[in-house]
Amino acid sequence: MTHKERVLRALNHEETDRPPFQATFTPEFADRLRREFHLPEQRTEPHHRTWYGYDLEILTGQDALQAGGGWVTNYYLKPENYTDEWGVEWKIDPYETPFGTGHYTNIARNPLRDDDDLAMAYKAPDPLRPELYRHVERLVREYGQEYYIIGRVHGTLFETAWALRGLDTFMTDFYINPDLVCHLLDETGNYHRRMCLEMVKRGVDMIWLGDDMGAQQSLLIDPDLWREFFKPRMAAIIADIKKANPAVKVAYHTDGCNYDIIPDLIEIGLDVLNPVQTECMDPAVLEDKYGDRLCFFGGIAVQSTLPYGTPDEIRREIDWLKGTLGRGGGWLSAPTHHVQLDTPMENFFTMLDALGIEDKRPR
Amino acid sequence: MEELLDKIAHCVEVGKINLKTPFPPAMKGQPGAEELTLQALKEGIAPAEILTQGLIKGMEKIGVKFKNNQVFVPQVLMSAKAMGTAIKHLKPYFSDGSVAMKGQFIIGTVEGDLHDIGKNLVAMMVEGNGYEVIDLGVDVNTEKFLEAIKQHPDAYVGMSALLTTTMTNMEQINSAIKAAYPGVVTFIGGAPVTAEFAQKIGADYYTDGPQELVEILNRISA
Repeated sequence: MTHKERVLRALNHEETDRPPFQATFTPEFADRLRREFHLPEQRTEPHHRTWYGYDLEILTGQDALQAGGGWVTNYYLKPENYTDEWGVEWKIDPYETPFGTGHYTNIARNPLRDDDDLAMAYKAPDPLRPELYRHVERLVREYGQEYYIIGRVHGTLFETAWALRGLDTFMTDFYINPDLVCHLLDETGNYHRRMCLEMVKRGVDMIWLGDDMGAQQSLLIDPDLWREFFKPRMAAIIADIKKANPAVKVAYHTDGCNYDIIPDLIEIGLDVLNPVQTECMDPAVLEDKYGDRLCFFGGIAVQSTLPYGTPDEIRREIDWLKGTLGRGGGWLSAPTHHVQLDTPMENFFTMLDALGIEDKRPR
Repeated sequence: MEELLDKIAHCVEVGKINLKTPFPPAMKGQPGAEELTLQALKEGIAPAEILTQGLIKGMEKIGVKFKNNQVFVPQVLMSAKAMGTAIKHLKPYFSDGSVAMKGQFIIGTVEGDLHDIGKNLVAMMVEGNGYEVIDLGVDVNTEKFLEAIKQHPDAYVGMSALLTTTMTNMEQINSAIKAAYPGVVTFIGGAPVTAEFAQKIGADYYTDGPQELVEILNRISA
């Protein structure tokens, strides 16, 4: 079975020899992994916004390989403070872990925060620049036979819009400035919709949309607001992707607790839900209620088990996920976010082993 | 008088800021928390009364609804905006002593972490319940917390984090606070934070939402 077949079967709700697997890594965790595999040093970022190869993905037994695009790929753009092409300003924030110092890129300034007129006049960059897709083309060409190829376009609507406007301001704009909300969602949404279609044209197997809509115990916003502002725009994006190629699967990343909108997501044609944070949603409930109509992508907890669990706890968690999300196929296993620097290496390889993936580190 | 204060509380609860804001649609064209507060002052109602029986009542109600998952973050932000706009007209009375605050609360998202929606919600809710809030912002290191406590030695201290990689900074900050100011009561919160973690690092309280925190503050400051 090729890696690609494994994913295709699982997403077709069929049992596979082992759950298909995908993962992304924060830059410093990737550095540690590279040392484990005796690979030369290389600057990496978790979105694969340009080509830098897939050696770590292949050595860690991943079945799906991704190439990213869109505003969200401005995370981890540079090692020093920068302003991205959308106008969002970023800063570098170091943090300490038992395994060394990591660096997050964090938004330092939202350019449209205090200026309604500027926000109403805002135009997104050009999504049709050919250079934005070179890595997708190469990934499909070099690995598309053997691996399942994902075009990742996170920050599709909400996150890019609030990065421009400021999260707290944008959340009150829903009530005070609904026209402004619509304008920013249309600008960001159209950019990312065009990007999805360009990726589909280049032969990806899945489009992975994303916007964090969940808080830890509920949605961030009222489900009715989501239905008013987000659902129709997401429905249009999914419909366009399916029209361009009905075989392409659509996944959607939304952190946190999203129970309230799952039926709506199924209704507008979503195939795969990511990342399924088990601290926030019960995988048994998800599988029972939606497992016949929806596949699940993720589940392995970076907020608890992966950094803090014992190897035994990690094995138990993988078994639990296999028996819930993975029952009868339908599960693309993955950590719920980029694997973080605070993760013990033993935990990471225990996870691979529990999934049935061989440890390929040189001995 | 009571009726007017109830109206103020209602405006805060539903997020009706002032006459010109169109939200909520059912109250379009009606006066909001701001106008009604000004009216109350004009009618001679004591500023302390307006604060406790009007504005704070409204925030308490939205806080309980948020705790029970009946409303979401945007509605709480609207309530906080309504409260914040109205409270400006009461600020002159704070400094002359005619309005007493329940206490002071220093808050910040810890070093390395820039996530502030949870921290802001807590700050708004604590302020809305009658405390003076000293908001240190995001990416706050030990020195900044200690400096703030030096200036406000009776304040309670709240620390927030969203990430497992930054919540560990709470341990160092909390230890430094406890070493320098053993009497200061500390609170921690944020998605990955747990009661066990609070116990492990020696923080006094963990809460998983702003309303619980306010209830504890009201209890220990009474």
